[in-house]
Amino acid sequence: MKNNRTILSAFLIISFLWIAVACQKTGIQEVSPTDPVPVPFTVPAGWPAPLYNFTGNPLTMQGIELGRKLFYDGRLSKDGNFPCASCHQQVAAFATFDHDLSHGFNNQFTTRNAPALQNLAWQSTFHHDGGINHLDVQPIAPITAPNEMAESLQNVIVKLSMEASYKKMFLEAFGTEQMKTENIMKAMSQFMLMMVSSSSKYDEVQRGKATFNLPESLGYKIFKEKKCNSCHVEPFFTDQSFRNTGLAMLPILVDRGRMRITGNAIDSLKFKVPSLRNVMVSYPYMHDGRIRDIFAVLEHYNTGVVKGPTTDPLVKNGIPLSNFEKGQLVAFLNTLTDQAFINNQQLAQP
Amino acid sequence: MKKALNVLIFTGLFGLIGCQQENSINIQQAPLKVSFSHTASNKVLELGKPLLNPFGEVYTINSFSYYISHFSLITVQGSEVELPVSYFLISEKQPVSKKINFDAPAGNYKAIRLMIGVDSTRNVSGVQSGALDPVNGMFWTWNTGYIFAKLEGKSPASIAPMQNVTYHIGGFSSPYNAIRMVELPLPEVLKLRAGGQANLSVEANVDAWFNSKNPIRITQEAFCMNPGTLALKISENYANMFTVLKVNN
Repeated sequence: MKNNRTILSAFLIISFLWIAVACQKTGIQEVSPTDPVPVPFTVPAGWPAPLYNFTGNPLTMQGIELGRKLFYDGRLSKDGNFPCASCHQQVAAFATFDHDLSHGFNNQFTTRNAPALQNLAWQSTFHHDGGINHLDVQPIAPITAPNEMAESLQNVIVKLSMEASYKKMFLEAFGTEQMKTENIMKAMSQFMLMMVSSSSKYDEVQRGKATFNLPESLGYKIFKEKKCNSCHVEPFFTDQSFRNTGLAMLPILVDRGRMRITGNAIDSLKFKVPSLRNVMVSYPYMHDGRIRDIFAVLEHYNTGVVKGPTTDPLVKNGIPLSNFEKGQLVAFLNTLTDQAFINNQQLAQP
Repeated sequence: MKKALNVLIFTGLFGLIGCQQENSINIQQAPLKVSFSHTASNKVLELGKPLLNPFGEVYTINSFSYYISHFSLITVQGSEVELPVSYFLISEKQPVSKKINFDAPAGNYKAIRLMIGVDSTRNVSGVQSGALDPVNGMFWTWNTGYIFAKLEGKSPASIAPMQNVTYHIGGFSSPYNAIRMVELPLPEVLKLRAGGQANLSVEANVDAWFNSKNPIRITQEAFCMNPGTLALKISENYANMFTVLKVNN
C-alpha cells in the first residue's frame, strides 16, 4: 500500500510537471516590478457601467500620465501651437472658453464649437455629428484636420520619437519605446477616461450629502416639468441622440450635422444632444457656439425654434418659459458645475 | 498500481485538454504566396502614365491601393477552408506589398475567396496596428471607418479642382456596406504541400472600377470620399477586378 502510494505520488508529480512544461507557453506571465501600475476605474454610485472596453486598454498610472503629457503637447500639431488643450481647456470643462468656433493652424476656423470632454467612458459616439465611433480613434480627427492641428500621424510619431522623455514614458506604459498610432491613441484615451465629472452640487444632492436651495429645487422641478429631461437624461444630462433643435442653418457654414455621416436626409440639421454638466462654464452654446448666453438659449426654446422638416417634435412648438422659470432653471443649471473636476490637478497641464 | 495508472491517464487527459490549443494544429500547413499585378487599359499599370478608361476618358493614376483580408480556400470537393484572419494593404507604390505570404492547410483547391475591405468589427473597435494602422492613410478620421480601396489620379474629363480623380471607397454599415467577398476560380488545381512553394499570380484590372456592373464615367463622377451609393457602385465594380492568371505548384 505504502509502495503504491509512493508510485502514485511519483506519477502525480511527473504528470503535473509534464503539464507544466507542456503548457508553459500559455502560462500566466509573471508580474515584474517594472510593469505599469494598474489604476481602477471608479464608477460613481448610481451610474451605469461604462461603455468603454477597458480590457482592450487597461488603465495604468504610466499610461494615464503619458496621455496627459500628449494631451498638453503642441508637438501633436504642425506648428507646435495647437495641443489638444488649446481647444479643450480644463477651466471650461475641456471645451473652449469663450470661443464660438474652434480655430486652429494658420488662423483657420473650424465649423463647430469644441465640445466639453467629460464622462467619455459612457459616450457611444464622438463629435457633434457622432461621426467617430470609438474614443481610441477620436484624436486622429483633430490632429490631422488641416484647420485644426494640421499634422500627419507619421510626423507626430517622428517628432515624439526624438524625445528621450517620451521613449522612457512609452517604455514604462507599454513596455516598448516604439511609438505607433495604437499606443499613442490608447495613452490619450487613458487620460481622457479620467475626465469624470460627478462631483457637482447636483451629484451631492443625489447622494444625500447636500440640499438644493429654493431656486435650485424649483429649477430642478421646472427642468422635469418642461420635459428638458426627455433629451437631457440624468445622470449624464444627455441621451446621446441626434436632434434638430430648430436652429436655422447658417449659410456660411452649411453644416447639416448628422446627415454628413449617414447621408440620410432625415438626419439633416441634427446634432448630438450635449450634456448639461458644467454648462455654465462651457459657453458659448450650440454646436457652432452661436448663442453666448444661457438665458438666450432658454429664449431660443421659448420663442426662437425654426420649424423645418426635421425639427424635433419635442421642441417644434417651442417650450414656453416665463422669465421667472428661466431664472429658476439657471439656478438649477448652476448646480451642475463641478468645481472639483475643473480644478482637478491630476487633469491639469503636467 | 491500478489507481496510479488511472491517475496517470486522468492527468494525461487533463494535460491534453489543457493544452488543446497547441495540439490541435495537426494538419500539415503549407506556405502559399500570392503575387498581385495591376493592369489598366490592357497594359501593366504605371503610375503617372496616361491611360484610357473603358469610356475613352484620358486619365492618370497617382495612387492605387486596397485592403484584402479573410482568405479562404475552396477544396476540389467544394468545401470551404477558412484561413486565420489577416489583413493586407496592397499598394502600387509599395512593390513589396504586392507579394503576400501565409500558411494554409495542405490540400487541393480549386478557388480562393477573399474580402476586399475590412470587416465591420475592425471598423468599430478602436485603433488598430499593422496593415490597419491609420498611419497608412486608408482611414476616414471624421467618419470612422477604413477606406477599403483608393484610386487617385487626374483627368481632363474631371470637373473637380485640379482635375483630380479621387475614388475613396469604404462604408461598413447598411445600407452602404461596401465590403465585398469575392471568389476567384483557379485556372488549375492548387496543390498545397508542406515544404512546397505554391504561388498564385493574381491580376487586378483597374478598368473594372469604371465599367463592370455599373458604368462610372469620370465626366460624371470624378470623386467619391464618403460611404454611400457611389461608393457602393464602385465597390460592386472592383469586386470583379481580380483574375487568377496562374497557379505555380
